[in-house]
This record gives sequence, structure tokens and C-alpha cells, in this order.
Amino acid sequence: MSIILKTQKLRVEYRSREFRQSTKTALVGLDLEVNAGEVFGFLGPNGAGKTTTMNVLLGFIPPTSGGASLFGIDVRQPIARQRIGYLPELTYYYKFLTAEELLRFYAKIFGLTRSETDKRIAELLKLVELEHAAKRPIKSYSKGMQQRVGLAQSLINNPDLLILDEPTSGLDPLGRMKVREIIQRLKDTGKTVFFSSHELGEVETVCDRVAIVHQGELKAVGTVAEVSAGHDNLEKAFLKIVGFQTSPLP
Amino acid sequence: MKISPLLSLVALLALAFTLATGLAGSADNWSGRAKSNNLFGMLFGDGRKLFANQFFTMADVYFHSGYYPSVFDKNAEEQKEIIAASHGKKESEEEEKNEDFLGRPKNWIDAFGRNFKITQHTHLENHSEREILPWLRLAADLDPQKLETYTVGAFFLREHLNRPDQAEKFLREGLRNNPDSPEILLELGRVYHESYHDATRARNVWQLGVKKFRQQTPEQQKENKITGDGLMVNLAHLEDEAGNYGAAIQWFQAAQQISPAPAALQKQIDDIRKKMNGDIPAKPK
Amino acid sequence: MNKIAALAGVVIKELYRRKDFYVLFVLTALLTLGAGSVNFFNDDKIVRYVKDICLLLIWVSALVIAVVTTARQIPAEREARTIFPLLAKPVSRGHVIVGKFLGCWLATGVALFVFYFFFAIITGSKEQIWPWLGYLQALWMHWVMLAVVIAMVLLGSIYFAAPSSTSTITIIVVAGILLLGGHLNTIALSQPEPIQGLLSFLYFVMPHLEWYDLRDFVVYDMGMISLRALALATVYGAVWTGIFLLLAWLGFRRKSLTT
Repeated sequence: MSIILKTQKLRVEYRSREFRQSTKTALVGLDLEVNAGEVFGFLGPNGAGKTTTMNVLLGFIPPTSGGASLFGIDVRQPIARQRIGYLPELTYYYKFLTAEELLRFYAKIFGLTRSETDKRIAELLKLVELEHAAKRPIKSYSKGMQQRVGLAQSLINNPDLLILDEPTSGLDPLGRMKVREIIQRLKDTGKTVFFSSHELGEVETVCDRVAIVHQGELKAVGTVAEVSAGHDNLEKAFLKIVGFQTSPLP
Repeated sequence: MKISPLLSLVALLALAFTLATGLAGSADNWSGRAKSNNLFGMLFGDGRKLFANQFFTMADVYFHSGYYPSVFDKNAEEQKEIIAASHGKKESEEEEKNEDFLGRPKNWIDAFGRNFKITQHTHLENHSEREILPWLRLAADLDPQKLETYTVGAFFLREHLNRPDQAEKFLREGLRNNPDSPEILLELGRVYHESYHDATRARNVWQLGVKKFRQQTPEQQKENKITGDGLMVNLAHLEDEAGNYGAAIQWFQAAQQISPAPAALQKQIDDIRKKMNGDIPAKPK
Repeated sequence: MNKIAALAGVVIKELYRRKDFYVLFVLTALLTLGAGSVNFFNDDKIVRYVKDICLLLIWVSALVIAVVTTARQIPAEREARTIFPLLAKPVSRGHVIVGKFLGCWLATGVALFVFYFFFAIITGSKEQIWPWLGYLQALWMHWVMLAVVIAMVLLGSIYFAAPSSTSTITIIVVAGILLLGGHLNTIALSQPEPIQGLLSFLYFVMPHLEWYDLRDFVVYDMGMISLRALALATVYGAVWTGIFLLLAWLGFRRKSLTT
């Protein structure tokens, strides 16, 4: 099985704003591998280093030491992102563009031809149910519509690897179901999905493997069954791994 | 107690109106600018004179089609005077080179930069002089007491643009703002004499100009002696043309008191005396 | 090139969907028409002052459009966080810099073309002549100058987070160069050391944007500048644009986007 996503002793340090602390370590020597065709859940409490890992993979920040690669290409090369799609947690798109213009813009960046672009846009707008609003500016969209635009743009190039940052955050149950369906469909077509989430119930349902990070360190990695071994479910395993102790109610 | 916003608004408007009517009389005493009947005077106060000077300079810049020293050029003021003195004179190439405020290029940047600057000394002609008029108009509006604006404007309107009606109108406006100005009267007389060939009106205006000149203080007369000289000499020529040789001699003699070239005027007096004796025939009227 | 063209296209769309350009154009048009309608001494053939005023307004408006549009590009992308989905595509930071530059420059070029066309119509209707080549030359030089300014603003926007700071500083610098640039060596000579040395140094290292101001040639009907001078000035402008864009890229490529 080929490795699509890989980090090697990935370390990221920030300059700290706290008194008497010169640097803050966000990631401590992270070693991670994601195989082609699997759905991989990246879990951890807030501040664990999930977003930092994604920022490095997407080239937003450089690592302090160690490395990361996508499809065997160093993440610092723009070409490493030719076959990926990215859905950020919050919707960050040009509000003055329409959904169609936004998709056309990103398609051009990926080098799609005119006919490929037209076909792909039609498919995606149908998938995310935005055909009726395609010619309206994004600033007039509701939050849910903006997130659906986000999903569409992450799929514009028919990516082999989809990186999703909390894809169901803020979605209603119907929206969450839609996202799960899309993830499953991608998996069925042999695509790889790498996503972070706090919805452990969903992670249990869709993921082949999971990793748990805490305080910048990789605490556990394996199939859902392997990580949950000895616990009732993934949630209880997660809480134990991150060292959370339930206190009895008064 | 709940107060209706509409009622509050009405009460405030009523209060504002009451205060305005009460304070209107006193407010006039506070601000001198508000009394000004000139828009620019009201907007800029005495600062308008700076703008007036700048617009007057713009007229000169336009006359030279952009070839004009900036404040940074060496001896800028001196160069401007040299350029002004060259108006109407045919100059040799040598003289033109001496007036070149640009001088030799100081370095390659200066040399290359001259490709994008006006480097030719030219004057507007063939009715293109009209282009300077807007700036003179603005200068007059901003500083109605700047006499040069009226005299220069009238000169170009009369002499170059063949618009004596506009020249007269402009000078009369200048007179309304500066009723004691011999300079404006001198120029107005020229309009009547040279454009309208109306010797009577020209004489009246120039005589008034001499009267205004003599009413000035000795210091003012010393500063304006060229104007005084011009008025008297013009009157002398007018009387000479009319055959009133006695009056002509009197005016030349009066001009000699203040003229920088009394010897030249003496020659004129001698010529008139010869005419009186029949030695030189009088010019036909 | 497709990526750069795509980025430029988005910048152009943004400009014509914002109101800045239309407001400035209408203001320029109204002021010019107002100036042109004033009667001086009953002479309706006076035209140079209209040209002067119109060109001054065009220069001010174009500079405002160029600076304000460009100063917002990178900071607005960072603030709105649209930079993240953009850089998650196979787009380098160099592409972003060049794409933004090209978009701002082309958008400003369109605005300039409209302004100069309006200028030609208004003045041509008064003086009944249309020296198109002279106008095109002036427009080209103006556009080349704005390329340098836009690159300068992009560089500033990498280091100054607030677009207002970048805009203010750039406008002051550009106005300073336009007004004083050609005279800096003269001013330097009258100053004591070390100011003389500093001013002389500045004179030789700064971009001489005042070369690109051909308004006098247009207003005073002085014809055209030589093709050689035009070509060299264009190359000079391209070099300075390249310098500023390179510095912008060097600053941007190492910048963390998450802080």
C-alpha cells in the first residue's frame, strides 16, 4: 500500500507571547503515515497540534525541523498540492464572487480545460445542491450554503487526497449526513481522506484508521478497533489517552 | 419618565433656531471672513493672496509653454526676471543660451530626465495667448488688489488677442477694486488711444492717472515713477499728434522730473520746438 | 501563466465590483466638465487649463485607485483568510505576488484608458484636434509609472498589516518623488554634510517616477518624446517593478500566515 501522506519527526515551534517563555512547541517530533485509499481520522483535544499539522501539510507554515510530504513530494513544493483538496473549518472565500466564478477560478489554478471545468462545476453544484444559487455572490449565502461551496471547491480537481478540517463543525444533522456520504463515496472510488474532528461517533463510523495527538505528541495510532481496545468505545479510549479523569457528580 | 424621541428632536430644533436668531447679530462681529463678499476671501482669508501669486505665475508658465524655472533651480527669481524681460524681444541664440536656467546636465539622470521636460524657450503667439487668461482671471478673483494682473491681462487682450472690449472691461473691474491706481489708468488710456483711437477719452483717463500719481506719497511715487513717466509721455505724444505743441512740451518737461532717461525726452522737446518753428513738418492728422 | 492569469482575473473582478473607480471617475468627469464650462473673457477656445485640470485629476484618481486597490490585496486575503484555500492549491507565494501585481496593474490600466478617453473627448470637442499618438504615449508612460507604484505598494503591504498605513506611506513617497525627485541633487548641493551625502545617495538610488509625467507635453502641445527615451524609460520602469516584486516575494515567502 503506497503512502500518500507522511510526516517525519515533524517539529514546530512558535515564538511565545508568554512571559519568560521564548518559544512554544506545537508539535514534538510527529511521525505519521497515511496510506492510499484509507479514511484517516486525526483526533485530539483543542490545542493538541491538529491544525498545526494541517498547516504544515498545506504549506502555510514551515516546520522548525523534520519534514512532511504528500505523494512523495516535499510539502514546500506547490506541486505537492496538485492532487489534494482542502476544506477549512471556517468558510474563507471571496465574498464578491459567485459560487460558479469561485469554482471556475480554482479550476483554472489546477489547469483544467474549459470543458472539464464546465462539466465539473455542473456535477459539484448538483452534489452540494447549489445549482439555484450558483450565480449569486457568496456574500448573500447562508452559513450552510457557504460550507457547501467550500466542499465543492475542495473537490474541483477530483483530488486523490482530501484534507478536511472539522468538516461537520457547525452543520445541522442533514449536513453532517451529507458530508459522511461524500466521504464514503470518495472512499469507494479509492480516494484518501484525512480529516480532523471532534465528532468521535462519526469517526468511529467512517474511519479506517485514527491517530490521537495530545500536547504536540502522537499518543496513539491504528485502526479504530486497535485504538479502542480495552475500552467500551473510541470516546472512552480517547479520554483515557489524553489523561482526562471523570470526576463524580456531587 | 419616558420622553418621545420625536418630541426631543422637535425641542432640540426649536432650541437651535432660537439660539441662531439670538446669536446671529453677535456672530458677525466674531469673524471677519464672514463679512467678505468674495468667496475665496471667505474660504482662505488672507491666504488667498498666496494662491493669487501662484496663479499669476501659472499664467507666465503657460505663456512659456511650461519652460519655467522651479523654486529649486539656481537663481530662480533672477531667471524669471530675465525671462520676463525677454518678452517681445527678438533674441540671438547666444542670448537664449544665457537665459537657459537648466544649464548643462549635472549627471546622467539629469541628462536622461530632460527627455521628459520642456527644454525649449517659446512664447505663445498667434492668439494662443488666450490660454493664460484663466489664470489671470483666477488671480484677479483671489487678489483684486494685485494691479499687475489687470494690466498684464489687458495688455494681452488688447495687443495680442484684439479684444479691446474685454480689456476695457477687465481694467474697469480693476479700477472698481483699486480706484486710485495710476497703473490701471495708464493701461486703460492705451486701450482708448491705440484700440479705439479715441484721443479725448485717452487724454481724460491719462490726466486722471497723473492726478492719482501726484496724490501718492513720495515713496509711492518713487516706486511708480515708470508709471508716472509713461502717463506723462503718453499725454505728451497725444498733444503732439493733436498739434498742441505747447502742452506737449509741458508734459515732456513734467516727465523729465521723474524719467530715468531725461536726455531722450529733451530730444523729443527739441524736435517739437523745431516743428513749432517750421523746421520739421508736423505729421498729418 | 494560467495561475497568474486566474489570480489577476479575480483582482480585476473585485475592482469593478467595488465603487471606488466609479466614484472617482464621476468626480473627475464632473470637475472637468465644470471647469470646461466656465467662461473666461467670452472666449470659448481656451482649452489648456481644462487639459491641465483634467490631467491633474486623472493623475490623482489613478494614483488613489492603484494604491488603495493594491494595499488591500494581501492584508485583506490574510484578514478574510481567503489566502488559506488559495495557497492550499498548487500555487506558490510567488504566483500570488505576480498575480496580484498583474491584476492591479491591468485593472488600473483599464481605469486609465477610460480616464484618458474621456479626456480626449472633452478636450477634442473644444480644440477640434485629437493628437492620439501623444495621448497614447502619455497614457503608456503613466501606466508604466503605476506599475512601479503598484509593485512598491505590494512590497509595503507585506510588512505593514494595515492597508491604510501602506497607502499613506506610499502616497507620501510617490508624491515626494514626483515633486522633488528631479530636484534632489540641486537641493543636496545647498545642504551641509551628512545631509548632502544622504540626499545625493537617495537621488541616485530612488526610482525617478517624475520622468513618466508627460502632462506638460500634452497640455502645451509639445509633441512626442523620442522612441528611444520611451523605450529606455519603459525598461527602467520594468527593472524597478522587478526589484520591488522580488523584494515582496522574498518577504512574503517566509511569512507565517497563521499569526
